[in-house]
Amino acid sequence: MRILILGCGPLTSLLLASPDSAEHRFTVISDDIDRLNGVADEPRVTPLLILEPQMQDYLRMGGIDNADAFLALSEDEHQNILTAQIAKHVFNVGKVVCRLENPQLQRLYSGLDLEMVSPTLDLLQGLNRVLQSQIH
Amino acid sequence: MYILVIGCSELGYHLTKALLASGHEVMVVEKSQVRCDILTEELGSVAWQGDGTVESTLKQAGAARADVLIAATGHDETNLVACQLAKHVFQTSRTMAMIKDPKNEPVFHILGVDIVINSTHLILESLEERIPGRTFLRLMNLRSSSTGLVSITIPEDAGVVGRRLDDVELPPRSFISLVVKTNGVERPSGDLILEAEDEVIAVIPSGGEQTLYDILTGV
Repeated sequence: MRILILGCGPLTSLLLASPDSAEHRFTVISDDIDRLNGVADEPRVTPLLILEPQMQDYLRMGGIDNADAFLALSEDEHQNILTAQIAKHVFNVGKVVCRLENPQLQRLYSGLDLEMVSPTLDLLQGLNRVLQSQIH
Repeated sequence: MYILVIGCSELGYHLTKALLASGHEVMVVEKSQVRCDILTEELGSVAWQGDGTVESTLKQAGAARADVLIAATGHDETNLVACQLAKHVFQTSRTMAMIKDPKNEPVFHILGVDIVINSTHLILESLEERIPGRTFLRLMNLRSSSTGLVSITIPEDAGVVGRRLDDVELPPRSFISLVVKTNGVERPSGDLILEAEDEVIAVIPSGGEQTLYDILTGV
């Protein structure tokens, strides 16, 4: 699969290092040159540095027209929401996933048919499981 | 009318003053306490300190009874979230968003924002108006289509001078809606003869402006 990712934080680094992603090719868009340099050695990763907030141009440069999936994983939730909706409604990408931590916004955008991930909620569920196992 | 303004940048500040002067009830939602204090000191109780993209803040600021929400922060993505929250959670009847990236305009319309104000276009229009001897002016973008209304003034040496309108081949999906002559406004017919200094008001799909300009002004 050709996968375009917005954001180059720890979540993206973990995803790129995951054995499950070995078969895929990635383009990673970020305004953080240090973090992009951190993933640039990987041969199946193409880094793309953002200089100005003209997101649709960068998505095109990143190959969104031919992408099988778009993952908005940056630490800026509003940017994730905008770009994920552009990917879905303008570029008609088959699989779009948006990182959102705010439960109120999650409720709104799940109603608008946006697929989401939330590392904080996943962490919370994991913590709850650990606590429950300690109690029992 | 109760109007909720999100963001008190310089634009939000002047907008709020103008809306209050027009007799509207206005509340500004602004993150910065300092800006809120300045606004309150100058204009009274019109500021609510908080994040306009947080549902509970919008609720407290009265989004449920707002007739209009204007998202005027300096960030396109923040303005989109505020408008979508207002539209889908509070059923605000009119949402308006300021945008900086012109390419976001059709996207915002697709995503349900009622009015999108493109600040880049506004500045461009303002500049074009101030350039002496201008022959091209972008008047407005038409909603929900990638189409605009433009004004082109025909120069003396243009090839179309003295020709019938029917004989002028226009770009696809464009048409002339009005011709302003020195002696008055004329509704365009095929027999209308184009003259130097005529101001042609035309509807043109986005991207076709240069072609239309070349046709009407080319020697």
